Amino acid sequence: MPALIKMTLRILLNRVKTDTLLKKNMTKFIKKEDLYKLLNSFLKDFEIIGPKQIANKGIFYEPLESIEDLYLGELFAIEPAKKFFLESSECLFHSGFLDGKATVQDAPLPDKRRIIIGLRPCEAKGLILLDKVFDSEYKDRSYINNREKSVIVGLACAKPDKSCFCTSMDGSPTGSRGMDVLLFAVEDGFIVEIYSDKGKEAFSSLGKEPDEHQNKTLSAYKQKRSELIGKNFKVPGDLSPIFESDYWDKVSFPCLSCGVCTYLCPTCHCFELVDEGRKMYRCNDGCAFSNFTLEASGWNPRPTKKERYRQRVFHKFDYFKKIFGENLCVGCGRCIRHCPVKMDISEIVSNAPSGAGK
Amino acid sequence: MIEELRNKARELLKTKQVEAVIGYQRASDGLSAIPCVIRSEEEAGRLIWDAACVYNLCGYLKDFRAKKLGIVAKACDVRAMIVLISENQLNRDDVFIIGMECCGVVDEKRARVSGRDGSDISSADKCKSCASCVPLAYDCLIKEKREKAKVSEDADKDKYEPVRKLEAKSLSEKSKSWKDEFKRCIRCYACRQVCPMCYCPRCVADQFMPVWFSKAGGIEGNFSWNVARAMHLAGRCIDCGECERACPVGIPLRDINRKIEKDIKELFGYEAGMKTDAKPFLACFDKNDPEDFIK
Amino acid sequence: METKNIYLPRLAEITDIKQETPDIKTFKLKLSLVYKPGQFVEFSVFGEGEAPFCISNSPTRGPGIECSVKMTGKVTQALHELNIGDTVGIRGPYGNGFPVENLKNKNILFVAGGIGLAPLRSLINYCLDRREDFKSITIVNGARSSNDLVYKDEYPIWEKAKDTRLYLTVDCQEDNWSCMVGVVPRILEQIKPVCQDSVAIVCGPPIMIKYTMPVLLKLGFCPEAIMTTLEMKMKCGMGKCGRCNIGPLYICKDGPVFSYAQVKNYVS
Repeated sequence: MPALIKMTLRILLNRVKTDTLLKKNMTKFIKKEDLYKLLNSFLKDFEIIGPKQIANKGIFYEPLESIEDLYLGELFAIEPAKKFFLESSECLFHSGFLDGKATVQDAPLPDKRRIIIGLRPCEAKGLILLDKVFDSEYKDRSYINNREKSVIVGLACAKPDKSCFCTSMDGSPTGSRGMDVLLFAVEDGFIVEIYSDKGKEAFSSLGKEPDEHQNKTLSAYKQKRSELIGKNFKVPGDLSPIFESDYWDKVSFPCLSCGVCTYLCPTCHCFELVDEGRKMYRCNDGCAFSNFTLEASGWNPRPTKKERYRQRVFHKFDYFKKIFGENLCVGCGRCIRHCPVKMDISEIVSNAPSGAGK
Repeated sequence: MIEELRNKARELLKTKQVEAVIGYQRASDGLSAIPCVIRSEEEAGRLIWDAACVYNLCGYLKDFRAKKLGIVAKACDVRAMIVLISENQLNRDDVFIIGMECCGVVDEKRARVSGRDGSDISSADKCKSCASCVPLAYDCLIKEKREKAKVSEDADKDKYEPVRKLEAKSLSEKSKSWKDEFKRCIRCYACRQVCPMCYCPRCVADQFMPVWFSKAGGIEGNFSWNVARAMHLAGRCIDCGECERACPVGIPLRDINRKIEKDIKELFGYEAGMKTDAKPFLACFDKNDPEDFIK
Repeated sequence: METKNIYLPRLAEITDIKQETPDIKTFKLKLSLVYKPGQFVEFSVFGEGEAPFCISNSPTRGPGIECSVKMTGKVTQALHELNIGDTVGIRGPYGNGFPVENLKNKNILFVAGGIGLAPLRSLINYCLDRREDFKSITIVNGARSSNDLVYKDEYPIWEKAKDTRLYLTVDCQEDNWSCMVGVVPRILEQIKPVCQDSVAIVCGPPIMIKYTMPVLLKLGFCPEAIMTTLEMKMKCGMGKCGRCNIGPLYICKDGPVFSYAQVKNYVS
């Protein structure tokens, strides 16, 4: 009997210890060089994808061969990390012949686990929005595989750009939604907040608990970041009353109908299915292109940039909200920064004429 | 200059010489410009003019077919219009060109890559080799009254020097370097949409019977797209630099176009958009053509 | 556990091909499928591409499915070159189908133009196979010319059915044409179908739908009692690729069958 009681007590004690340990492991401080050492040790088991600075071009997410190339500074990557989950062109299946009969085969799914590091809170939130489309009714297996195989290690924004407006989209420069782990750059290192089992599995062995000074720095950091966002507005609840308004003629005038805003957006996900050489590919596409809705008969329901730009705004700030409950926009500002003619969707939406419902 | 421009616009609209004026207004960031269309005298106050007025506005002319329009144009913009007129895409009588004497525009690309905060405003690369501040054709000219800090100190220098440097590289160096560039191409077609000479109603890249430039897997399609577009621009490109500026991933598109421009200049002595009465170079046959294969 | 590949089609052999008009063929496929009238499938011609087509035979008229295809572009051209015995890929069925329960004990007015008769044929034959569940059936079918009318060999069968009237019309008078002449909206104005206890189901080219709707409203049909099956360019069939997004609706998922009341704000 006493042995049984001892054993039970031991099990319970272990459980309490583990729970406390886990709680303790939720926030750590790690020196920069120790973080890099840890990532280096992961290279054999994980593909490590992170921002890399390419001279005179900008910051791009790439699979890193050397951790020294990792850029965790203030500048934002031009393309969001979305392309590692919803790939810009991906084979879905191939068809062939066997003994004179037609066959179809699934394209294989990659097996390697990945750490995607350096994502900003807006990009991680973008993945949550994409989950609503690709991980719901009719689950997209390659998207889901990419999600399952990835550990998302984000980087809180030290210096928001003047085009950022994540706070108007229910987000924040220090938001944790969609993150497994979030890094906050502080003096000579990072404070690391771990939110998920995946994150714990990868990072629980590192660092130490932050000291009081570091904890204070973190609180101040979180508080200050949102204040740095210059744009602040409320999205109208229902845009349908102004669907026919000539406001859309006026604001769509500069639009070139290119694909920059669509392809750089962390939440845009329209695609086309093309068969090339008996392989079915899913390739990214966008409603801004003039031939997106062009039908084989020659009829195009969205013939001019007015209809197309209006569709973009309505899909993001009205239709998606009506179906899924949230705007299809994370306020990252990429579309504003990189639009060849500097169109600003946040201004266009916040200046929408009254008549739009609350 | 700005008041003169605004007054000109007001006058053109009041006397109904034009239906609208296409120009630039201030963008939401308070620094950049955004294209705009002015349809009434009251709106003319929105027009601005400064080094942020980078874009070539010719592409907006096709939104207003068969209507008379005013357009704010720099020297490079007017060169584009000259080419469009020679290709029957634009009627000279349908535009009232408000020529602007230009001292150079900002280097938007560099500003974007370095995280522009307004303090770093250096001149665009294309302006450094610009031959003239004054447009070759205009209906009225708005002169720069300030001390001319004209950028093209290098105007006499060989403007094709960067191209020659590239030409000097070995085939394998060139191949590797272009592969590195084109693997970043996301096929957004911003280069095409922003180019004043890309006006095909149905671009060859959008055709699917057959698919000429595949998007599916590999970078061959990216190579073919960019090279094909450069070939379609041969003898027509005026090096406005918009394609390179618009490219979100920083592909040096001007290098390709300037290479072809240089070849045509050196082989045939021709430069697009430099003579108001020139015929489209590669689209015309001349009985006195020195080549005899065609006779 | 790996998720099933939602884009992978089933294989189906072509068992019959019928030339309906110079540019429309009906393909019969060997495939067992549970579906409702009004649903569609994504047809894959391997090496060429994929396109959505409605299933044009009634589920009461199996086995196998039929799709009527007009030659208009890349995939349809390749499809028209296939032969009996060739294999295609089929994904589906997708879409909501016609709300058959709501049609019971009602007069049904079918209004079709050209290839628009294809999705309606599935429902027409379904109703005729369960004749007692429905009241009078009126079919108004128009085409540019008599050469463009589809399912001609079904017309005598429909005309003979109980309490069923068929009106055929072409745009312009032709030799040896004894039926009506005029565009479909004008024909409706002439025949004045009764709107009491009735549902109108319309399918045809966009321009026909545009001019037919006001006529039906004038005849007394309320927007909730007018159904249409829309076919914008659809691709994935599952509400993901964004092509068929119209308002907060996806034609492939929330449709393609809609009441006029649902879509009148989004279809100009």
